[in-house]
Amino acid sequence: MTKEECKALLDALNKATACYHHLVLTIGGSADSQNLREELQKTRQKAQELAVAIRARLTAPLRDRGLGAEERAEFERLWVAFSGCLDLLEADMRRALTLSTEFPLHAPRRPLVRTGVEGGAASVAARALSARSLRHEAERGFDVEDLHQLEREILQVGEMIQDMEMKVNVPRWTVQARQAAGAELLASASAGVSSLRGVAVEQRTGPCDLSKALAATIFSAVLLAAVALAVCVAKLS
Amino acid sequence: MAAGPAPHGGHRRAQRPHLSKMERMVVSMQDPDQGVKMRSQRLLVTVIPHAVTGNDVMEWLIQKYCITEEEALHLGTLLVRHGYLYPLRDPCHLELRLDETPYRFQVRLNWEQTPYFWMSTLWPAAELDYAIYLAKKNIRKRGGLVDHEKEHYDQLHRKISHTWDLVVMQAREQLRAAKQRRKGDRLVIACQEQTYWLVNRPPPGVPSVLEQGPQRGSCTAGRVQMLTGPFQTKTVDFYRREVECLRKALGRTRVKSSVCLEAYLKFSSQRGPHDPIMSGCLPSNPWVTDNDTYWAMNAPSAAVPTRLRVEQWAFSFRELLEDPVGRAHFMDFLRKEFSAENLSFWEACEELRHGGQAQVPALVDAVYQQFLAPGAARWVNIDSRTMERTLVGLGRPHRHVLDDAQLHIYMLMKKDSYPRFLKSDLYKDLLAEAVVPPETKRRVFPFMRKPRHSSPSPALLPASASGEPSGGDGEA
Repeated sequence: MTKEECKALLDALNKATACYHHLVLTIGGSADSQNLREELQKTRQKAQELAVAIRARLTAPLRDRGLGAEERAEFERLWVAFSGCLDLLEADMRRALTLSTEFPLHAPRRPLVRTGVEGGAASVAARALSARSLRHEAERGFDVEDLHQLEREILQVGEMIQDMEMKVNVPRWTVQARQAAGAELLASASAGVSSLRGVAVEQRTGPCDLSKALAATIFSAVLLAAVALAVCVAKLS
Repeated sequence: MAAGPAPHGGHRRAQRPHLSKMERMVVSMQDPDQGVKMRSQRLLVTVIPHAVTGNDVMEWLIQKYCITEEEALHLGTLLVRHGYLYPLRDPCHLELRLDETPYRFQVRLNWEQTPYFWMSTLWPAAELDYAIYLAKKNIRKRGGLVDHEKEHYDQLHRKISHTWDLVVMQAREQLRAAKQRRKGDRLVIACQEQTYWLVNRPPPGVPSVLEQGPQRGSCTAGRVQMLTGPFQTKTVDFYRREVECLRKALGRTRVKSSVCLEAYLKFSSQRGPHDPIMSGCLPSNPWVTDNDTYWAMNAPSAAVPTRLRVEQWAFSFRELLEDPVGRAHFMDFLRKEFSAENLSFWEACEELRHGGQAQVPALVDAVYQQFLAPGAARWVNIDSRTMERTLVGLGRPHRHVLDDAQLHIYMLMKKDSYPRFLKSDLYKDLLAEAVVPPETKRRVFPFMRKPRHSSPSPALLPASASGEPSGGDGEA
């Protein structure tokens, strides 16, 4: 089913965008290093691949005029989420470009800001790529070439967005999101479950029951003790 | 973060200068040799490096910029308010306050904000980002958002409900991505983000540091238009405008500052004793003592002028003519000298200039008949060139047609009659007769002033005016 595939791809793109955002946060800070730049590059390339794939899958159904209203609504929802994601990605890429130029790694006096962040972010990038771990293989002059590459990729993404707007006409205000306000509180804790599949609401009644049961037991124990004492007193007197 | 309103063309807004300065200052604080002393902070089990105490920051500022302690405190406060330094100790502290007292300043430890969150003016914080942040906070605190955040949340949900799926997805994923980091880093990044949003969406009651007043906004907009940034192409039009602008600047008359300042000093020394604020006013300041004799005595049509007023007539001819009493006395003087028609002519011209449009032709005619025609009753002596010009202009009368003649007569009076007036007996008598009001006696106990009553409102009827309470009593 194309819809399921699309949703899975969208989830992956969402994951990649979130990880990219997280990595861009630390550019120019104390955790900035060659490894970080490499991770950034790998994450964004993965995100772009996913974006191209989703776009191919979504454009066809949306341009098909013979699609049913329900199906169409579903695809439009996916489309809105996809274009929003792509916007976020593009903005993050632009910021990454500006920050990377302002805080170059191999300048004579490294003007990196001591932000208090120390650890590496290899696991974040690995998560984005859905890999177990990440190997760092870049050479020394990597970040300068990377900047040029980044510029080109920003332009590509910009063009993709433009193209999307031209080809598919989805009026955003008519799209009804499935999630209501406060929906994020009803998440299931397991990672990787798609929120678009209608997550079952988990009842958090376990701990409440336990405490109530405990209170009940104690109360009844006290009551029994009181009754026993009264009986003893009655017997003695 | 979403680009929001910024267009896709890559157009950058100008960063405000004070923010760039602050950023430069923060970067120089990082210098390993000459920057602020950094230390590690222990929070329960995690250790977070690169902490600075407020005291260290202040000392560094004082030493580097050679400023006073007060100024350093103010600068430090500004840095914190704009989010360049953030405290880690009170993550639930909603108000970003830098405590003024030195003791608490010492205890509070701060970190530098990551550069990602600096660029708030180049890419203004977008609604979608704020929604994602609030959703994340909602998840982390299990619905424990503060009031104003709840309001914002509901508002945003209404505004961008179509992308709410994305908001929830991104919030969850970002939290999961953050979990991949070690605990200390996670804490730091969360605090940084919280600071960023405290600066960009301040809670109610906290003034927003990123606000620009309406005038400043339009001013910078105008400047950005004219600025030849690297993004503006220099067309022929641009250069043409520049040349025009500079040409006009060349043609402007300029006064040497030495001349200007001399005149200013002379003016100040001459007028000093006459100014009621600098030298006090006699008999007393009506605003202070509720005694309005001062105003009555200096009314435009007072019978007997005060001495100061008479002295002021000697400063310049314009002063004399502007004061009605002075003008009247000058007219008397001119009558004695048989040159009163000059002043009359001048007055008539003034009336023409400032009178109604409909009366202009009639008035011009009347003036001509009375003053300018050959053989007129009160003929004024104007030189031939001005007379020719005026006669030509009389064919098409407008309110400024007699300006040249008026100016000629004015200069004549100023050079000729005015000095004579000042030396005349008439003026000297006026000076002698002028009244100098005595100063009101100072009370022995200065705090026992006359109780002040607020005057009854003119809107009230006189009958009920007596019922007005005497509010506004003078302070003891």
